[in-house]
Amino acid sequence: MYNVGYRIVNDAEEAEDVLQDAFISAFNNLERYRGDSTFGAWLKRIVINKAINSVNRRKPERMPEDDRWDVKEEEAVDILEGFPFTVAKVRAAIQGLPDGYRSVLSLYLLEGYDHGEIAEILSITESTSKSQFNRAKKKLKELLEGGIL
Amino acid sequence: MKDSLKEFVDTNRQAFDHLEPSNSVWNKIERNVPGKSMSLWNNVMIWRVAAMLFLGLSVYLFTANSLSNKPSRETAKLQGEFSDLESFYSEQIAQKVELIHTIQSFNDEEAFAQDLEKLEAMYFVLREQMKINPTEKVKDALILNLLVRMDLLNQQIKSLEDSKKEKSQRESAASV
Repeated sequence: MYNVGYRIVNDAEEAEDVLQDAFISAFNNLERYRGDSTFGAWLKRIVINKAINSVNRRKPERMPEDDRWDVKEEEAVDILEGFPFTVAKVRAAIQGLPDGYRSVLSLYLLEGYDHGEIAEILSITESTSKSQFNRAKKKLKELLEGGIL
Repeated sequence: MKDSLKEFVDTNRQAFDHLEPSNSVWNKIERNVPGKSMSLWNNVMIWRVAAMLFLGLSVYLFTANSLSNKPSRETAKLQGEFSDLESFYSEQIAQKVELIHTIQSFNDEEAFAQDLEKLEAMYFVLREQMKINPTEKVKDALILNLLVRMDLLNQQIKSLEDSKKEKSQRESAASV
């Protein structure tokens, strides 16, 4: 859960606050858990929501907003064919992404949400989620290949 | 469409969860859930109160029950009244039984003797009940038993006396 929060806020201390907030909130709202998802999934959503709120509080409008970020769906390309990178490098590259890109990319690749779910979580459209993901991948490629890491 | 990044992440998924929060987080979480632990404590309190109520009720029922077994003023009065009546009627019955025996030859009137014995057996059962749980009803039943026996004896005495009178009348008539 700590990693889930960390991937969105990208800061150790902030991620700890998020985790703390999320756990306390979950504990105080246990009666709201309806059992229509697993408890882990429910808790994960709380962590993600807290993390997104934290990012939004810190730097308003860093998360993609429809009027600014909603773009035409771009064609998905396998931009990183072969993938000659290490896990540590990829992790570092993900951390180097801007908040919006990093959130969408993490939610899709690591937390396993589809674009419909990400759209709901981030209050954006599904196509925005898709285009954000593609842009995030492009940016990630730049970071990985740029050798700056 | 093939996505090398996705494949790479899926293959190495666990390696992406490498970070651990500091221990202070758990301490903070623990410190910050007093609201819930309060209500948990309240829940324990509810159970404590329930246990106390149950204990109180048990004690009340126990003492109430043992009080009913103990001779309270009411039951002592009841038993006192009864023992007065009992000694009076018992004496009367004993006298009548003795009187019948002097008049009557012993093998006479077997049925009568059996009735009297049955009533006496019932009387002892009722007396035990009077000791354990003295109530107005038991007292009345005991007195009724005594009175019925008195009545039976009176009838018997009367019939014996009548037959005795008849006999002497017949004897005197025969002698005339």
